[in-house]
Amino acid sequence: MPFIEFKNVDYSYPSGDDEYIQALKNVSFSVERGQFVALVGCNGSGKSTLARLCNGLILPDNGSVTVDGLDTEKKSDLIEIRKKIGVVFQNPDNQMVTTIVEDDVAFGPENLGLPPDEIRARVDFALKSVGMLDYAKSGPTRLSGGQKQRVAIAGVLALKPELMILDEATGMLDPAGRREVMSVVKKLNREENMAVVMITHFMEEAVEADRIIILDRGEIAADGGKELFSDGELFSRVGLELPVYVRVARELNSRGMNVGVPLSTEALVAAVAKRIGGAA
Amino acid sequence: MIRVDKLSYVYSPKTPFSAQALFDIELDIETGDFFGIIGNTGAGKSTLVSHFNALTRVQKNSGTVLVDDIDLSAKKIDLKKLRAKVGMVFQYPEHQLFDDTVVKDVMFGPKNLGLSVDEQKARAKQAIELVGLDYDEIAERSPFELSGGQKRRVALAGVLAMRPEILVLDEPTAGLDPLGKRDIMKLVLNAKEFCPTIVMISHNMDEIAEYCNKIAVLHKGRVKGVFSPRELFGSEELLAECNVELPLVTEIASELARAGVAIDRGIITESELVDAILKAGEHA
Amino acid sequence: MRDVAMGQYYPANSIIHRADPRFKLVILILYLVTVFFCESFFSFGLMTFFVVVTILLSRVPILKVLKSLKVIIVILIITTLLMMIFYTDTGSKPLAEWGIFHIYLNGIYAALKLGWRLILLILMPTILTLTSTPTELCDGLESLMSPLKLIKFPVHELALIMSIALRLIPTLIEETDKIINAQKARGAAFESKNPFKKIKAMIPVLIPLFVSSFRRADDLADAMDSRCYRGAKGRTRMKKLHFRVGDVLGLLFWCAVTVAILFLKYNWFGWAFIQVLGV
Repeated sequence: MPFIEFKNVDYSYPSGDDEYIQALKNVSFSVERGQFVALVGCNGSGKSTLARLCNGLILPDNGSVTVDGLDTEKKSDLIEIRKKIGVVFQNPDNQMVTTIVEDDVAFGPENLGLPPDEIRARVDFALKSVGMLDYAKSGPTRLSGGQKQRVAIAGVLALKPELMILDEATGMLDPAGRREVMSVVKKLNREENMAVVMITHFMEEAVEADRIIILDRGEIAADGGKELFSDGELFSRVGLELPVYVRVARELNSRGMNVGVPLSTEALVAAVAKRIGGAA
Repeated sequence: MIRVDKLSYVYSPKTPFSAQALFDIELDIETGDFFGIIGNTGAGKSTLVSHFNALTRVQKNSGTVLVDDIDLSAKKIDLKKLRAKVGMVFQYPEHQLFDDTVVKDVMFGPKNLGLSVDEQKARAKQAIELVGLDYDEIAERSPFELSGGQKRRVALAGVLAMRPEILVLDEPTAGLDPLGKRDIMKLVLNAKEFCPTIVMISHNMDEIAEYCNKIAVLHKGRVKGVFSPRELFGSEELLAECNVELPLVTEIASELARAGVAIDRGIITESELVDAILKAGEHA
Repeated sequence: MRDVAMGQYYPANSIIHRADPRFKLVILILYLVTVFFCESFFSFGLMTFFVVVTILLSRVPILKVLKSLKVIIVILIITTLLMMIFYTDTGSKPLAEWGIFHIYLNGIYAALKLGWRLILLILMPTILTLTSTPTELCDGLESLMSPLKLIKFPVHELALIMSIALRLIPTLIEETDKIINAQKARGAAFESKNPFKKIKAMIPVLIPLFVSSFRRADDLADAMDSRCYRGAKGRTRMKKLHFRVGDVLGLLFWCAVTVAILFLKYNWFGWAFIQVLGV
């Protein structure tokens, strides 16, 4: 059984007088346990709507969303669903509930009604996983954007979810903050086998995923592995940019130096060095 | 023209929390420059530029800032004149929109300058068109029902309608998708035809490399130097010392050089990189 | 300004800092009641002595505590002066008089006691906020008010609201700062003396602030829902408040002080003395 399953989901929201914007049109897909999925698309493609449908913050107009067999329409299952799926949102300043890091991380497990010792153990574990244990007693005003997002991830981890959605969680961070968050997420996926759905418009982040789903104006335009990055036509059609190493490689290929489709700076460098016999 | 001479700044002076943000800053920004300011979070970039239109006042005996003929360390400054001259676009500028129609919001700046209503309207129209929006379609709509990218353009128009001679931008593309980023930068270049001097703070080294002719590196409140993009991104020691990221293209060039490919490290555009690789291939 | 969330908390490791916030709150109430009953200079002296001891125990620099008096200094001077010149004592001769103003010896005493009482009333709450974080105080209040749940009073919700407010105040202050700067850069003038113009000038600040507050509230609600929030029902806390022996002793001590002051006020000592002798 797939972990998350969308079946023919439509969703629209009101905009002004009697007008509706169709955010998602007939979307069907599923995500398995342990997968690392990048969900990409430009602003307004419906990415964030999709994230909010996953844990029942909003409900589909038509079709169904199920998580581990539980339907998000069924109110009594929502807590169970939200235990299984954690969501980290975009704005680092709008997710913390309390003035102290460890109290905030404790918020989730406290809601579940766990005994204090168990909560303490989960909080320490979660803060350690994101490398923020030293900041347990800090207030949010002293943290950088990247650190705040790591605290938000810890807040989700303390619920021991099986899948984490990052809804443009790196969108408001500087490059250093983005790297911090990415390395935590990669670690969670590889070492803890946590399934990840990473919503982003940074292709350099999407390249890290095993599977890429491209949304375009509310519809799934493509769903596949890293081979999608060799389809330049697809990317320009949906208004996304290929990562720079892919763009350079495509240009080189078209001008007679065949370097394939490298998916990292290192891969491009290795391919070029091999072609022209650099010292390495 | 902006001339910064020995500018220092201390937060909450004479309290236990006092912290020095700027140390003896020296900078010359000439008319016509597209001047980049880079540095880590907390390097003092925002504090520095907020001096340029006197949102932060020059502290006593802490140097001078000269904007054309206006001395900002003077006790009395003609703020109206200064703020008409220096336009400031903050991070996420769409968060400052407030009026019930787009055109009224854009007219806010010209109105504060004391211009006639006709002139306010004319300037608003021109500014809205300058940022690539359809005036007739959008002027009477509420700014709050626009898309994110449109809101940012309206906010930018609100500053451009004051017809500044110097435009200061703090991370103008933060939070936008790649196409949105490109669009905004295109608008900034368009605006440069009317507003000759542009100062831009950014963490996005690709944008800095692509658009700026001079770049000041700020590190812990000090200016580490002012460079051309090629000088800056070609000098690895300086970059490492100040924790500056490389533009993605430069990073590839630099890695290639390290792998023994005969290539210049200071490359900053994609087409240059492709040409250089092909050339290295011919020689090999 | 940005550290409003930490209140004026002065971090240190003292018995007063470590004490259970609930006890601190209860003792504060007891203390305030006691101060109202203080009558003789002896009882004022006694209370002052206890306050000084508390400050010393808290390891907060005494100047920091006294700084809290700065805000009330004007009120302090005015009220004591008024007390002095309007006090009438028909039983004694005034020390001095100007027209309708008379100054009596008892008037001076009364004014001194009033001022002293005000100072005592300010100092102890200051020590409380200097030695407890706002979160501790919130938790303490929630716990103390928990009996009110029986009459369906939303104690948990109130405590959560306070906690979120404390969390968001610094963010909103920062945001206000940014918006004001952005509008100033667009030539807005906030320096007008005319109050109507002033309010009008604030509109370009207030509207964006409202918009962003609503956005933040929405975001926060989503984040809380996503983390399984469902109100107070079935919720537990990581940090349990624990009574310690020291807290209980402190409370008993203050009960004793209150009783002693009451004795002084109503001269129960004399009454008890007569009772004992009479038997």
